[in-house]
Amino acid sequence: MSEEKQIVLECRDVSVRYGDVVALSGVSISFARGRIHAVVGQNGAGKTTFARAISGLVSPDTGEIRIDGRALPSGNVNQARQAGVELVHQSFALPPSFTVAEAMQFGAADGRIYSRRGLEKRWQTYLDSLNVNVKAGQRIRDLPVETLQSVEIARALVSDARLLILDEPTAVLSPEGAQKLFERIRHLKDVGVTVIVILHKIREVLAIADTVAVLRGGMLVEGPVECSGINAEKLAELIIGPAARPLEEDQKAALTGSLDTAHAHLAQSVDQAAVEPVLKLTAVSTRPDSDGPPLEDIDLVIRPGEILGLAGVEGNGQRTLVRAISALAETSEGKITIEGLDVTRASLQTRRAAGLRVIPFERNVEGLSLTSALWENWSARELLKRPLLSMVRPSELRQRCGTALDAWEVHYSNVTQHAGSLSGGNAQKVILSREMDEQARLIIAAQPTRGLDIGATAFVWDSLNRARARGCAILLISSDLDEIMDICDRVVVMLSGRVVGTFTPPYDLADIGAAMTGVSK
Amino acid sequence: MDDVIIAILRSATPLVYVTLAGVIAQRAGIWHLGLEGLMIAGACATILGTVLTGSIFSALLIAMVICIVASILFWFVVEKLKANQIIAGLGLTGLGLGGTTLAVESIFGSQAAVTAPSGLPRLGAMFGAYGTLSILVLLMPLFVFAVWVLLCRTRFGLRLSAAGEHPFAARSVGVNPGRMRLIALMIGGVLCALGGAELASGSLQFFSQNMTAGRGFMAFAAVIFGAGHPIGATFAALFFAIVGAIGIRAQLVFGERVPHDLLLALPYLATVFGIWLSARLRGGVKAVTGFGELRDS
Amino acid sequence: MTESIVSVFRALIFIVIALALCGLIFSVAGYSAPDMFRAIIDGAFLRTGALQQALRWGLPLFITAAGVVISFRAGYFNIGAQGQFYIGAICAAFAADWLNGLPAFIVIPACFLAGMTGGALWAMWPGILRLRSGADEVITTLMGNFLAVIVLIYVTSGPLKDPSGSGQQASSRPLDAAYRISTSYGVSPTIIAIAVLVGIFMWLLVNRTAFGVLSGLAGRNATMVTWQGARLWNIGLASFIISGALAGLAGTVELMGPNGRLASGFLPAHGFTAILIALVANLSIVGTAIVALFFGGLASAALYLPVIAGLPSSAIDIINAAIALFITAKSNIVDRFLRNWRKRVWTT
Repeated sequence: MSEEKQIVLECRDVSVRYGDVVALSGVSISFARGRIHAVVGQNGAGKTTFARAISGLVSPDTGEIRIDGRALPSGNVNQARQAGVELVHQSFALPPSFTVAEAMQFGAADGRIYSRRGLEKRWQTYLDSLNVNVKAGQRIRDLPVETLQSVEIARALVSDARLLILDEPTAVLSPEGAQKLFERIRHLKDVGVTVIVILHKIREVLAIADTVAVLRGGMLVEGPVECSGINAEKLAELIIGPAARPLEEDQKAALTGSLDTAHAHLAQSVDQAAVEPVLKLTAVSTRPDSDGPPLEDIDLVIRPGEILGLAGVEGNGQRTLVRAISALAETSEGKITIEGLDVTRASLQTRRAAGLRVIPFERNVEGLSLTSALWENWSARELLKRPLLSMVRPSELRQRCGTALDAWEVHYSNVTQHAGSLSGGNAQKVILSREMDEQARLIIAAQPTRGLDIGATAFVWDSLNRARARGCAILLISSDLDEIMDICDRVVVMLSGRVVGTFTPPYDLADIGAAMTGVSK
Repeated sequence: MDDVIIAILRSATPLVYVTLAGVIAQRAGIWHLGLEGLMIAGACATILGTVLTGSIFSALLIAMVICIVASILFWFVVEKLKANQIIAGLGLTGLGLGGTTLAVESIFGSQAAVTAPSGLPRLGAMFGAYGTLSILVLLMPLFVFAVWVLLCRTRFGLRLSAAGEHPFAARSVGVNPGRMRLIALMIGGVLCALGGAELASGSLQFFSQNMTAGRGFMAFAAVIFGAGHPIGATFAALFFAIVGAIGIRAQLVFGERVPHDLLLALPYLATVFGIWLSARLRGGVKAVTGFGELRDS
Repeated sequence: MTESIVSVFRALIFIVIALALCGLIFSVAGYSAPDMFRAIIDGAFLRTGALQQALRWGLPLFITAAGVVISFRAGYFNIGAQGQFYIGAICAAFAADWLNGLPAFIVIPACFLAGMTGGALWAMWPGILRLRSGADEVITTLMGNFLAVIVLIYVTSGPLKDPSGSGQQASSRPLDAAYRISTSYGVSPTIIAIAVLVGIFMWLLVNRTAFGVLSGLAGRNATMVTWQGARLWNIGLASFIISGALAGLAGTVELMGPNGRLASGFLPAHGFTAILIALVANLSIVGTAIVALFFGGLASAALYLPVIAGLPSSAIDIINAAIALFITAKSNIVDRFLRNWRKRVWTT
């Protein structure tokens, strides 16, 4: 009897399908009240689907979900919220044009007419009580990422949540930000809230969670088990599973974020001084625009055969840097050269001809046209080298595309299928096959493994390493510090549009984390 | 001076009602190019209804019902059948324009203008020179205020904006974006009916083919010019109406010296100017993916 | 079964639904819906001379619709075909007027040049506003239509007014017979040749040039193409110019062919119908040719609606509007039904 009372959430045989894809399969799990539970798994394991199913956002095809012993009608967010379940989303559910107060209000229970001042006063009190450092009148789109997450959590707590689910909250945070988040979570536990955290990294699990459960391929493979006394290596094995691709030890560590905070990275031997850099930025500043903070006085050098990592909390100028190098943001001062050629005023076309390649941040918006055919997506770069009215032979393009995609191990049926029908990993490979050709000299890889499963992630890392071996210069931007520390020869950290730190191996996670938040050592 | 203001009010009121309908739809994420069709349907229904039933109030009711039904059809096509809003909106407009012509022909046997025996109630003698204006003109600022309160000072308005701007956020608090859009379109239908009624029945009481002459599209432009904000869009609509009224006025004053057609063109030129200006000030249409498609998550 | 066949079936289903809705509307208005269908089928397909009539209306429609295809494929909602059509005809009329008296082999090409240039310019100003300032082209091209109507009224009652005209419609002097490219029946080797040339060139442009592939990509995701280094300015401006020029060409063809004179308010539904054709054909050039013939048949059937069903000829506008309402639907219901043919369809 008291056993039952201890269980706040129970899933029985829950399955979710999206069309032909099985996201969750027969998941039966229960969580104890008042504790902090971690759910881990690689990308594509079904973690987000699980979070959405138990909070009513997604309707399971089979199975039952019980909150406090009572069955939850599936796919009904309102019922779930009334039962005290709230979900904090990975990419925040906050309309950009809203003020913070409005973002709180639109999920609130009362629908009366309000005045702007009254609204802001009411919610300011609430936000202050939660220790969220923000003004209720600020607009969501003006807030930095870490504040956004606090606001998102505050929104979820508006309605007296008893079970709070956090979907990959640490993905966008610096190590310090993650620590602050964990404090907040512990505080919630103190006041009796049950917390389920979807996490990626074993180190984080061990830092915050009481129990851990592992999802893989949509199925529950372990747990929930107590975290004290757990074997980190065994956990890593469970997460990765029988990988199709054999992984090296440090790749495994990077993928799962296991214990070592200091990575001993063996740099490839790069003879520093003598070689002409592939990319050189000298005192580069950009004009402010709507897409992010402007760059201020950036100096950057990447040599052939070198992978430079760019770390920093999202929104500190990384996007602007990529856009400046790609001629999509205007350089107001300074000089950019590619292999000695001054390209500061040159078009993107010219820069591409000089060897620039870009793997963009947003795969589906900036990298591919989802409703266009694979061969069209793949041929874009080549076609732009020719005059607009030049004749093309689609059959020839299709054939060459097919050959290229096969060489990059893309799983597809036909080059005429549209890009949106591919899985994330395969779509990324299409982009790689387009961007990492023989003439590439400078490759900018922006969040190249975000959202990819372990096999695809390892594939991308291997491709980057091969490009490096060929003598390319690579700029890797990532919010995954394990990834950066594993494959980069050097690391720079950006904050507010400036470069605030340069690091060489062996790396220390704490040092890099400190630079990301502006704490100087 | 009085008669200039009266002319402006007469010209502006129908436009403002329809603009409000457009604003509500815009908030919900719908680019409503069917406003013209709804407006003319409202105008025609008001006049025909008055002729057939003898009562302006029954006619108004009929007009509102017709516009609501048409709006529901539009919602169904765009939301459930996932049609392109722009083309479907143009189709709705075409149905309105053609359907009203058909109605007049089938009932009266010709395409000539139809006059109604009575029109909207007037303000009456106590308003002096303004007494000839209809009550819808007086109610217009109240409607603007009511729409402003609804959209900008209630939770409903926030949820509507979320449905249009960030449907996922809306769903995460339990709001159904599709249902929000339905409500938005239905309210808009009523407003368009009122706008059409004022156009046809507010001063003279007649209906002629295509009498809306693009006002529905100007209302849409006013929505964009006003950045989707009820007050801003109302001012934009007023601007367009003033330009139109100036045109007519200048015709009377200057007569032969100003080409008649140039004055006819003024509202349309003003609309183009308005769209251009708002794009310059606020950054216009960015590179879009799936333009015209409703976003659901 | 390929995707294009599926989309043809989907289009047919929605056309049937649209016709059903029209039947309902006409029944409520007191007309006979079966008679309506009879009038359409008779007028469009069965009677003698139906094909010729369908061509008379369909050829110019095809020319305009091909331009709409180019523009929509590139992602620009240029719905100003009607205005560009009018301005093209007006420019050609002016050219014929100014060059009156010169031999036909000079005047006719000059008129075509003038017409295409006029149409292109009328599409270019909304295009530039969009490309430079981001001003939404839907409204600007729509306003362009209204403005063009006013210009037409002005021109036909002013500079080009027919001194001997007395009818209800203001119109210009009729063109000299030597400058006509067809009789009022509207189908001649010249017009057919023009349409065929347009078809060939546009098909090549869409399917065999870099512009074709790139504008198709840009139309579906302009951001991606920008990140590849494309200059949207070039692609966009070319799209506006080509679509405007083709609409202007159609206007010139109508003027110098079946119409013979510039009449105020002539062919008021041409542009909208052309847009509809392009959409029903799912933005393919070959499809556009076939669908244009179909809509040409519908347009000629319009003359039969009063005769057989007692409907006003404006009923054809209602039919077109109903088709427009439904035609872009990508309903899952219909698609699941079509999936019986084992075909993959899009999800959004």
